[in-house]
Amino acid sequence: MALPVLICDDSSFARKQMKRALPDGWEIDLTFACNGVEGVEAIRQGKGEVVFLDLTMPEMDGYGVLEMIRKEDLPAMVIVVSGDIQPDAQERVKKLGAMAFIKKPIDKEKATQILTEFGILSEAE
Amino acid sequence: MTKSSFEFAEMHWLMDVLQSIDVGLVILDRDYKIQLWNGFMENHSGLRPDEVHDKPLFESFRDIPETWFRQKAEPVFELKTRTFTIWEQRPYLFKFKNYRPITGRASTMYQNSSMIPLESIDGSVKHICLIIYDVTDIAVNQEDLTKANGNLAYLSQTDSLTELFNRGFWEEEFQREHKRCIRSHNPSSLVMFDIDHFKKVNDTYGHQAGDEVIRTVASVVRQTARQTDICGRYGGEEFTILLVDTDAAAAAQFAERLRKKIAAITVKTDDHEINFTISSGVAEFSAGFTKHTQWIEAADKALYHAKENGRNKTTVYQGK
Amino acid sequence: MGATAMTAISEDQRDCYQEITNVAMGQAADRLARLLDVYVILPIPKVNMISASELHMALADTTVNDDVSAVCQGFIGSGIAGEALLVFNDASFSDLASLMNYKGPLDRHGELELLMDVSSVLIGACIHGIGEQLEISFNQGHPVVLGQHCHVDDLVKSGNHQWSQTLAIEIHYEIENVNISCDLLLLFTEDSVAKINQQVDYLLD
Repeated sequence: MALPVLICDDSSFARKQMKRALPDGWEIDLTFACNGVEGVEAIRQGKGEVVFLDLTMPEMDGYGVLEMIRKEDLPAMVIVVSGDIQPDAQERVKKLGAMAFIKKPIDKEKATQILTEFGILSEAE
Repeated sequence: MTKSSFEFAEMHWLMDVLQSIDVGLVILDRDYKIQLWNGFMENHSGLRPDEVHDKPLFESFRDIPETWFRQKAEPVFELKTRTFTIWEQRPYLFKFKNYRPITGRASTMYQNSSMIPLESIDGSVKHICLIIYDVTDIAVNQEDLTKANGNLAYLSQTDSLTELFNRGFWEEEFQREHKRCIRSHNPSSLVMFDIDHFKKVNDTYGHQAGDEVIRTVASVVRQTARQTDICGRYGGEEFTILLVDTDAAAAAQFAERLRKKIAAITVKTDDHEINFTISSGVAEFSAGFTKHTQWIEAADKALYHAKENGRNKTTVYQGK
Repeated sequence: MGATAMTAISEDQRDCYQEITNVAMGQAADRLARLLDVYVILPIPKVNMISASELHMALADTTVNDDVSAVCQGFIGSGIAGEALLVFNDASFSDLASLMNYKGPLDRHGELELLMDVSSVLIGACIHGIGEQLEISFNQGHPVVLGQHCHVDDLVKSGNHQWSQTLAIEIHYEIENVNISCDLLLLFTEDSVAKINQQVDYLLD
């Protein structure tokens, strides 16, 4: 079965950039969310086993999403993809349970490396 | 030309350009030791490259404040950002003579400088480049302009007879303070006073004597007020003083001091000795004064009261 | 509207500018955070085509009644030119001085030092970050002090502008737990907009 992957970012350009950065031939079921509220909803519906999450968003920001995931104990592996790369931001999201932190702008190399590192993408793929 | 000899020639040209360009170029390593020193630097400092090479910058140029310079340069090494300094911060980094020693009006060269990171192959910054620009002409012109504008501003703000603020500028300052009072609720007070029977002074002794009286009053105001107080000539013989951070009681004391000093003065003209008095109204800021004009009206009311009650008096505004 | 056609940006382009700025301002904030050892609060940047008169309004929006100090710096590369304007609320200086470990007296001169230090970091990193994403290497001119302790209206003289429209990117920086706030405005010339739009379309493609 294809892996449910969610891209949650308020910028359509950033969503597109993220989608383009995903490894070729990776078998997934991709969903997009434009803000934190939509993101949490999609995760609840099981559409985000792996989540690429932006931090600065209207409605509910990335920190809010991480808090909700923790509160509702939702099954999501979150990779934060953020323009806010301050040491403090990285530390905060890790504390909130994010699996990894990638600096924007994202590219294929960085995405593949992180996914392999956490065993989400097997060497064969 | 073969490719490598062409590259060699190109290198040579570049070195020539670096040497003769009319901008100072210095490369420093992590210990602030000089690694490159171009022709501009050599000619203006009188130090040859071999005399400064590998010497710490601060040793060869003791004028450069080390702590200050490091504060500007460290982010270039650590954060890989460019930093800039301008002559307004510090007229020069290197004490060089003005390029135009004969017709120029400054003795030393004004300088702007940039510091740019030079990345090594591993991506770290082990060297920075310091670029020195001669901005003497710009700086001298700017300073002239600032001085001229300053004079103009002073002229448009002051009353020529008394050299206190004129009414327009005083009101601007007063409005600003009024806004500040609304925000901070600090007790500031307004003193408004005028010279008793001034028309009689003018009619009896002439306008010149009248002017002398006004000048004398203004000079007593200046001597009595603090630096922070805002003093203006509001109308012909009417004056306003805004006492910042002062409540009504202290303002009344101030007005009384002023009144007594003025009453004790005699203005001497060729044929006459003139004595005169003032009446004052004092109003402390109250939250009810949502417009600055209400505050002025309050002080004016108190002044009117002082006049009604026999002049040569100070009255404090008591609300309605 | 006048005889010349107004340059416009599409929603997609605006979104793209916003995202590029977001990344660049994040890089700038990171440098400032490391320099001052603080956390910089990052908002969503505003991107708009504005007219000369609207620039005054945009500037007036940055502060309420308070006195400000400002620095501007020109940049140019690959036919794209603009200016960065950093507007500092004067109330920020005392906290900034303690964070920067500034020991001298906090007079006009002391404030100028702090203003220059912060603007070097913020403007430089932001311009560099935008250039990097658009694959343009920008040259930066020398910074110029627009004014100290002045009202925001006095920063940019109205009238007689040689331009009618500019692409304006507004970023409001605040630092957590201290009283420091400043606004960075990136203003691109009208003739740059067509070129920069091309770069952006290339990214959007």
